[in-house]
Amino acid sequence: MVNEFILLLSMLVVVFVGLFLGVIYSFLLRKISARLQWRVGPLMSVYSDLRPLLGTTRVLQPLYDVMKLFGKETIVPEVSRRRLFLYSPYISLTFAVLAVLFIPFPGAPLLSSTPYSLILASYLLIGAALFSVLGPVASGSPWAAVGVRREAELFLVSELGFVLSIFSVAIARGSLTIWEIANSPPRPILTAVAGALMLAAMLGKLHIKPFDMPEAEAEIVAGPYTEYSGRLLGTYYLARIFILYGLMALFVSLLLPPLSTSIIWLPAYLVSTLVLVFLLALIQVLNPRYRIGNALIWYVKILIPLSILNIVVLVV
Amino acid sequence: MGIIERARVYSPWIYHLHCGGCNGCDIEILAALAPRFDVERFGIQLVPSPRHADILVATGCVPKQFVPMVKRVYSQVPEPKVVVAVGSCACGGSLFYDDSPENYAILGSVDRVIPVDVYVPGCAPKPEAIINGIVQAVMKLNHKKG
Amino acid sequence: MSTEFKLLKRVLSRYSTPMTLNYPSSVVPERKYSQIPSGLRGVPERDRDKCIGCRACYFACSGRATEVIDEGNKRVIDIFLFRCTFCAHCQEACPEEAIKLTERFEVAFPRDEPGAHVSTELDLLTCERCGRPYATKRMLERTYERLMEKIDPLVKETVSNDYRKLIGYCPDCRRANSVALDTHTKKYVWLEGV
Repeated sequence: MVNEFILLLSMLVVVFVGLFLGVIYSFLLRKISARLQWRVGPLMSVYSDLRPLLGTTRVLQPLYDVMKLFGKETIVPEVSRRRLFLYSPYISLTFAVLAVLFIPFPGAPLLSSTPYSLILASYLLIGAALFSVLGPVASGSPWAAVGVRREAELFLVSELGFVLSIFSVAIARGSLTIWEIANSPPRPILTAVAGALMLAAMLGKLHIKPFDMPEAEAEIVAGPYTEYSGRLLGTYYLARIFILYGLMALFVSLLLPPLSTSIIWLPAYLVSTLVLVFLLALIQVLNPRYRIGNALIWYVKILIPLSILNIVVLVV
Repeated sequence: MGIIERARVYSPWIYHLHCGGCNGCDIEILAALAPRFDVERFGIQLVPSPRHADILVATGCVPKQFVPMVKRVYSQVPEPKVVVAVGSCACGGSLFYDDSPENYAILGSVDRVIPVDVYVPGCAPKPEAIINGIVQAVMKLNHKKG
Repeated sequence: MSTEFKLLKRVLSRYSTPMTLNYPSSVVPERKYSQIPSGLRGVPERDRDKCIGCRACYFACSGRATEVIDEGNKRVIDIFLFRCTFCAHCQEACPEEAIKLTERFEVAFPRDEPGAHVSTELDLLTCERCGRPYATKRMLERTYERLMEKIDPLVKETVSNDYRKLIGYCPDCRRANSVALDTHTKKYVWLEGV
């Protein structure tokens, strides 16, 4: 009884902590990209003479974006399929939050010790991404149609790469439960190789350049999210924040074993996720945007054979 | 300030509508978004779709054929919204102001089509003047209801 | 491979010294504005004491921003700043250097702002005979001053007397009363040395 209560309480706390950390990672992605482009980005400490007007710090800028969107009018196009258009953002957010609950946080194992939690977590993340495609399909706009086609093709190949790298870790550790993988002894070579492959697959999932062609801004207006406004768009942004946190946490749990188990590892956990965010920002800044054909070729010719090779080496 | 009102001041998103004109003001707006005058410091982002925007930044002198498009884009911006007219052409028609009956092409300033909240004159206005105008528009946004 | 490393080094070189200016904050005054050249053309300003109401700026204005409104015995020259292109043609055309383009460029007006007009009001002189206003008092005074600066001293007194007599009549009335007002130039022919 007490255990269940503690579990529920820790799940609630970790959802909020996950939201907070996701906001921080999203802010850092923008801030580091800005610094690498020789500009400032959202201010960490606002100039002293503008503080009464513009606040003290903009560290929670992504959260302000979401809150502002919740305060805007929601416009639903007449040509859309109304129920799918309206419900998809909420379903996507639900899947993203549920996925977060299966990934351990230092000090809170949550539901990660249920058997096959690895498959559950990756399926829920895939489901969140799926509903961020189905809603735009229902919006009835040609821009959304082009964006969704690109998103679906990218989805196929990047999910394949992601799943292959996850399963290479599962094969090497002999378990499909995240808690067991997070408690196993560290293996540096596995971390290096599978980590690099998983990072490359994550670029497609997170729409980091060079793979941000689904939401190619201004090329196809806003891509899938063209017809979304107000609280529906805010929900999609919130789901993306949870997905970002979820992927960072999954990376650390699977590939940096002891760091997401107990609370004494919390500083190291935070440092490792910050390094990961820095790497993502660096890749984002240094690359142009690929065409969808180039992205498919890159994945099919480079990433997926390497992942398969990785699995073969581990099995043998 | 309520929490949603504060979020509106902290995160104003811009949609740039080019209603005809020489592109000089568009280049100055681009300069305002570039690293030298980075407006992302204040959370201002350029969004690709008018449905995501709070502030509609209109440049250029409106030709008569473009009037339905301006109205359409204006109606796609969700409430609460403000409109900023940047440049002499968008504010008052500048050199192309002509109300005679032989004029077949140019309607004139943007406020003949949509209601404008802040005017930034100049030909082309310096990026500092544009940022000044946008900050004033953000303060006006704060006073509007959703 | 070395080009990629050079690119990486260049990107990381200014990580902690961004090149962004601090506008609109004035905490570090040197980093508030970009370079403001010394002849920057900003909002025009008219010196009311120098303006003679000749309307040269109205004719020179390229954006049709300047309007002249004659009402009763007042002339108002008004520049609508929303239509002004800050081209400085009025500054070049003004004979008295009354209008100057200041360096103020940070102007943004909300709707219906009265400050968006630069107005000057001048008095018009009315004709004694027909009662119509025909020129501004300042223009007539200034024309007199300019005339007296450069005139040949032989004709100076005659011209001065004539000017004071004729100034109260509009050109149509002067033509109508040319005999009574003695406007013929024959009076200059009999002067010696002319």
